[in-house]
Amino acid sequence: MKLITAIVKPHRIEEVKEALRDIGVNGLTTTDVEGFGRQRGHTEVYRGAEYQVDFVPKVKVEVLVAEDEAQGVIDAIEKAARTGKIGDGKIWVTEAEQVIRIRTGERGPDAL
Amino acid sequence: MNAGDAPAGAPVPIVRLKDELASLERAYSPGHHGLWSARRRSHLVDTALVDLYRAANPPGERAPRTALVSLGGYGRGALSPRSDIDLLLLHDGADPAGVAVLIERLLYPLWDAGFTVGHAVRTPEDTVQLAAERLDAATAVLDARLLAGDGDLLAAAFEPMLLRMREDPDAFREALAGDARDRRARFGSAAYLLEPELKEGGGGLRDIHAFGWLQTVRGRPLEEDGMLRPAEREQLAAAEEFLTRARSALHLESGRRIDRLFREQQSDIANAMGFRDEPRLMAEDGLMRAVFEHARLVDALTDDVIIGGRRSGPPPDPVELPDAGEALALIAEAAEAERPLSTAELDAVERIVPANEIGWSTTIRDAFLRILRAGRGATQGLHTLDRMGLLVRLIPEWAEVRCRPQRDPYHRYTVDVHLLRAFERMSEALAAPDADDPLAAVAAGHVQERDGMLLGALLHDIGKNGEGGHVVVGDRLAATILARMDVDETTGALARFMVAEHLLVPDTATRRDLGDDDLILDVAARVETPERLGALYLLAKADALATGPAAWTPWRQALIRELVTKVQRVFDRGEMGVEVAERLADAIDEVRELLRHEPAAAVERFILRMPRSYFLSTPPAQIARHYATIAPDLGRQDVRTSTREGGRSGTYELVVVAADRPGLLSWIAGALSLAGLSILTAQVFTTEDGVAADLFEVEGAFEAAVGEERWREFRSLLRTAIDGRVSLEHRMAEKRRHYPERGGTPVTVAVDNEASDFFTVIEIGAPDRIGLLYDITRTLSDMELDVHLAKVATYTDRVIDSFYVRDPLGRKLEDPPLIATVESALRARLTVVPEPSAG
Repeated sequence: MKLITAIVKPHRIEEVKEALRDIGVNGLTTTDVEGFGRQRGHTEVYRGAEYQVDFVPKVKVEVLVAEDEAQGVIDAIEKAARTGKIGDGKIWVTEAEQVIRIRTGERGPDAL
Repeated sequence: MNAGDAPAGAPVPIVRLKDELASLERAYSPGHHGLWSARRRSHLVDTALVDLYRAANPPGERAPRTALVSLGGYGRGALSPRSDIDLLLLHDGADPAGVAVLIERLLYPLWDAGFTVGHAVRTPEDTVQLAAERLDAATAVLDARLLAGDGDLLAAAFEPMLLRMREDPDAFREALAGDARDRRARFGSAAYLLEPELKEGGGGLRDIHAFGWLQTVRGRPLEEDGMLRPAEREQLAAAEEFLTRARSALHLESGRRIDRLFREQQSDIANAMGFRDEPRLMAEDGLMRAVFEHARLVDALTDDVIIGGRRSGPPPDPVELPDAGEALALIAEAAEAERPLSTAELDAVERIVPANEIGWSTTIRDAFLRILRAGRGATQGLHTLDRMGLLVRLIPEWAEVRCRPQRDPYHRYTVDVHLLRAFERMSEALAAPDADDPLAAVAAGHVQERDGMLLGALLHDIGKNGEGGHVVVGDRLAATILARMDVDETTGALARFMVAEHLLVPDTATRRDLGDDDLILDVAARVETPERLGALYLLAKADALATGPAAWTPWRQALIRELVTKVQRVFDRGEMGVEVAERLADAIDEVRELLRHEPAAAVERFILRMPRSYFLSTPPAQIARHYATIAPDLGRQDVRTSTREGGRSGTYELVVVAADRPGLLSWIAGALSLAGLSILTAQVFTTEDGVAADLFEVEGAFEAAVGEERWREFRSLLRTAIDGRVSLEHRMAEKRRHYPERGGTPVTVAVDNEASDFFTVIEIGAPDRIGLLYDITRTLSDMELDVHLAKVATYTDRVIDSFYVRDPLGRKLEDPPLIATVESALRARLTVVPEPSAG
């Protein structure tokens, strides 16, 4: 099993959700996150008042999938989140050792 | 408390008690166990306990001197279905072993039968001592009631305690106030939280009981000291009855002693209590509204009397108010002075509250606006209006949002409490802007129309009345309300705008691409002025802060501020504003009109895709002509062109549409030049979906009329360039060699990063010559710069061009060395004509 984590632009999250739904992913977790990568913070000016923007708002998407579904999910996220501009985000994949559905106690792929 | 079967071998009183409790529960539906039922339950337990006590003290056996006393709610003679049976066994301390035997005989049968018993065994002296140390022990004894045994023992505990408390009744009130504050902090409010704690929460049963304790300690009815008005006594009684019913239903439905009304139980409890779905209010929302209405009155009275320490004394002289206008003026005066109304004033206001809607007069409007402007006292003033029933008579639409719960993950408060809190935040933001928020401070500083801002915040969610589509409904209701109030036109206009557009900033910021320059222009066009933008920012912030702790996160703040800042800069640069927005709207309307015979959906898609700058810079008639070339879908390798004669004789209008790619503009420019066409003006637009629509005004370089063969040559050259089959660079150099350079005016290159939030603007001035635009655009594409927008104009011998460019990742050119490289590359290319490479 794989845990696929993606950081995407906030305005792409609906597309990502839809793309994942289209390929049959029926569960995901999203979190509002802030951070920076190559796209750094900067100073903004509003009517003469300056303020510092240290972090860029993004949305983190996490999906747990079976081994053979991972590539499809990665492709779907990549396509849906891509604008071609700076700050489109990242996707990474980690091994999920164990998955447990708390309600039923199911384990492993059954719990996905 | 536990109805049901008694265990085998249980004593007769227990068997009977179980039986009678079960039949009491059967007698009513779970929602109809109010105070009467609680008293009956208490009475049944009394009987059983008296019997048990007697049996535990058999005649002839030497018994210790004791008294069996009920405490707390049970002491007051009211037991909810699953409440603890709180008992105190008082003894004289002479026979600890005898007391131990007695307590076992009393309690074991209760425990065995499954009752939850809270018990204490103390001497009167210990009881007095404990009551002096702990408020809960003291209030429990204030409710104490003798069930059986020696009454003198209870008197020995009760009377010294009461005497000591009566020495300083206000200190006792202060202790109750401290407890009320602690409970609010711990359990939250029952007056607006979606999962209220009916017993300990603010406005809950414990608050009601505090009035009873205060009265016991003061020794006479609170009314006699002017601390409670008769109408308020009735409100407390009604609230106690209702909340007792709700709590009993909760115990019976859940089968447990829980006092928090959780979401998942609300539907069952509502049904049990007789609430039914209404067209705009679900049964469970009706239940919650009733809970909130009662708890809110209790909460307000607790604030006034217990926490606020309402002044006691002989009943004050009555105050007379002639009408609602005077009543509002009095409330306004109190709000400005930040003082509560006296009981005499509340009585007077209560007397003038009419049965129906209050008509707005100048006096009423002025007083109402005075309340809104009262700063820190304003919210108190609005609460007074609400509590006295004036708010719903002034604004009948308020009745629909009053105490209406909101069932979503973000809102913690009822709609009306949310509105009042948002109003309060707005009032604070205008009076003393948040120093940590430069945007709020600057926005507040620019506000001219304060009444409009306050009214906008107060009414922004007035449309949440159960109809659905709260923004549209709210816009309609706000228009009616503001017209009724007859406020100034500018006040009403701003307030109404805020109601109608209160989601524009937060929704756009969190859901749309803030890197899209046309999106920013569209928002600016809707907002129109910096003041209205500031109003929407302050409202977005007040709205979020009034929603719950999760709504104004740094994440949301960052997005909202980015949007507001970008829109403001659009205003600063004059790219959008009232006039431009009108011009844009007019132009688009005209385009729609001209294209009325085309499919409407396709026309709307065309309007949405094309940049705003296109509509602002191109005459509608010309846009309508472009439609057929630009609008249809385009394949990746397609190139579509159209030509027609231009406005001046010998000039031609050329449109080229192709999928945008690096170098495209230079290929077009090169192909034109090689085909013997001179570029007089050019405008380059890129749609958000990556299609370049380039408009040129051209003339023949060598002859006045351009024939079809030149156009064909141009199209063929462009086609082969796009397909990568020919290098225009070589052919351009070859061609240029045959034409002498005219020279003269110097080349200027200026890189400007201030002109746009999205692009770096490069302005170039140069003497006109063959292939100039080709050279410029070729240089830009060599530097991997993407031209998003370009304006090229020729003035006799000189060409002034501006190019809106970005790097391949969509960034502006911020790096000084890179900027310098771009500048020098352009200068070099434009100053020296490159020789064709050898071979």
